[in-house]
Amino acid sequence: MSTEQPAQEAHAGSEFEREPVPTRALLGFKDFVGMYAGEHTAGTELMIGPLFVAAGVSAFDVVVGLLAGNALAVLSWVFMCAPIATRARLTLYYQLEKICGRNLVTLYNLANGVMFCFLAGAMVTVSATAVGVWIKFPMPGLNDLLPNSVGWVVAVLILGGMISIVAAYGYQTVAKIGNIASPWMVLVFIIFGLVGLRQFIDVTGYKVSNLSDLWALANTHIWKGGNPLPGQVKFTFWHVMFFAWFCNMAMHVGMSDLSVLRFARKSWMAIAAGTGMYLGHFLAWLAASILYAYQLHLNPADTDVLPGPLAYRAAGWTGLICVIVAGWTTANPTIYRAGLAFQAIVPKVSRYKVTIVTGLIATIAGAFPLIAMKLLNFVALYGLILMPMGAVIFVDFWLLKKFGCKSYYAEASGKSFNWAAGLAWLVTLSVCTILVQMGPLTKWLAGKGILSDPTRQWLVDHCSVQIFFASLPGWFIAAALYIVISKIYQKNVRPNLG
Amino acid sequence: MKSMAKIVSWLSLVVLTVPVVLFMMGRTDLDTVKIVMNICTVVWFATASMWMWNPDTGKA
Repeated sequence: MSTEQPAQEAHAGSEFEREPVPTRALLGFKDFVGMYAGEHTAGTELMIGPLFVAAGVSAFDVVVGLLAGNALAVLSWVFMCAPIATRARLTLYYQLEKICGRNLVTLYNLANGVMFCFLAGAMVTVSATAVGVWIKFPMPGLNDLLPNSVGWVVAVLILGGMISIVAAYGYQTVAKIGNIASPWMVLVFIIFGLVGLRQFIDVTGYKVSNLSDLWALANTHIWKGGNPLPGQVKFTFWHVMFFAWFCNMAMHVGMSDLSVLRFARKSWMAIAAGTGMYLGHFLAWLAASILYAYQLHLNPADTDVLPGPLAYRAAGWTGLICVIVAGWTTANPTIYRAGLAFQAIVPKVSRYKVTIVTGLIATIAGAFPLIAMKLLNFVALYGLILMPMGAVIFVDFWLLKKFGCKSYYAEASGKSFNWAAGLAWLVTLSVCTILVQMGPLTKWLAGKGILSDPTRQWLVDHCSVQIFFASLPGWFIAAALYIVISKIYQKNVRPNLG
Repeated sequence: MKSMAKIVSWLSLVVLTVPVVLFMMGRTDLDTVKIVMNICTVVWFATASMWMWNPDTGKA
């Protein structure tokens, strides 16, 4: 999953923050190919691949699901985000400010910053699992939600503390190391998969002489399907496809990459996101899942998802360095950008202090394995929370005028909080939360005597939606709400419109 | 100097993959693969830094 989300003003120091990018500053296709390939090969890929295996995916489901889901993600960049980016050529932040007003954007920043913090925490967790290979201490298991040893907490605190300090001073050096590491890291990820495959061939005695043999090995030993591990949700083809499509939802459908793609000469250049998707979200996920499947094959009781030991077994010290570099180079800008998002809320406090506090929160979050071990759910939640604002931007740009409303309403009316956008966001989130939490919610209502058992059962059977699928109906709800509320709101509140 | 570093660094990535291919074919053992990978990793970071360490990259 990408970690270098160019969150609005988090692009501090970049140019043209409050004006359209001029023609002379536009970039070519090659610039985007390298950027996307690097961004989507992060430390968290080493968690996601194994979690697919833990979720009981079959070979067809994971391979075809990832091919389809990643294709949909690329198409979302090309047909939803890029056309707006290359026409308006504004940052997400500035475009949102024109639509929503400064106060609502501040609220959006807060949500974005909090999600960044937790995501950075998961990256610290990933890096700390590599430290655990060098210095032996008990590391968290697949179903651990709380830290399980003093050694683990100390390792996370030291690592997270170092990352935070570097982030507070500006992350230039780590960004440079990240750029240098990128081609090497992509290769090491692929090597993980190849080594894992050979280990499977050796341990099973399979004769693999063509693709058909390889597919048979994959079906019978690597991605066997069947029940998920205890505590995990069963993943089908649809889960994998929607996860691959929506894990970067904040960026394509959620429009965060407006800030990046505004520099593209043509909107089709967004197809460069395919490099990131098929290197990071296909090859890297499959490679990491092969390593974990091999671990389970050797010892079915060893269900721990620990990228450090997994990488060490396959590639020795190179694997460990890969885990640390992948975690560090992506946690760093994430903490930095979360800090910038928070600083927009408290502009009088220095960026240094805000980033240190942000890093501290991320580090504490990283000590709790909950986020990393439930990364599939967290990533889905991350996309869900930021998605409605993407729908608002899409509707505002393409549709609102056709419904007789004014685009960029906050700018036109001088409002600092566009209630149409705010309500579209919050109501969509509320509806999606109810759909996702239908089971516990109706159980609680039934316990209070508000719902009968048959009604409860009907609601659970017909209205319950898993978090991986909630974003799709959520987008349409947000879009429809924004149009309807804008019609009402703009009719009543248009004091400064010319 | 820079172009020499560029050649060596790309070569190190090629060499990084060779033992893995041999391992896939059953022609070498994993320990040898790991040693070659470690050496190539050091060579890559040492030489790539010489031409990829762009002072303008990663400005915050």
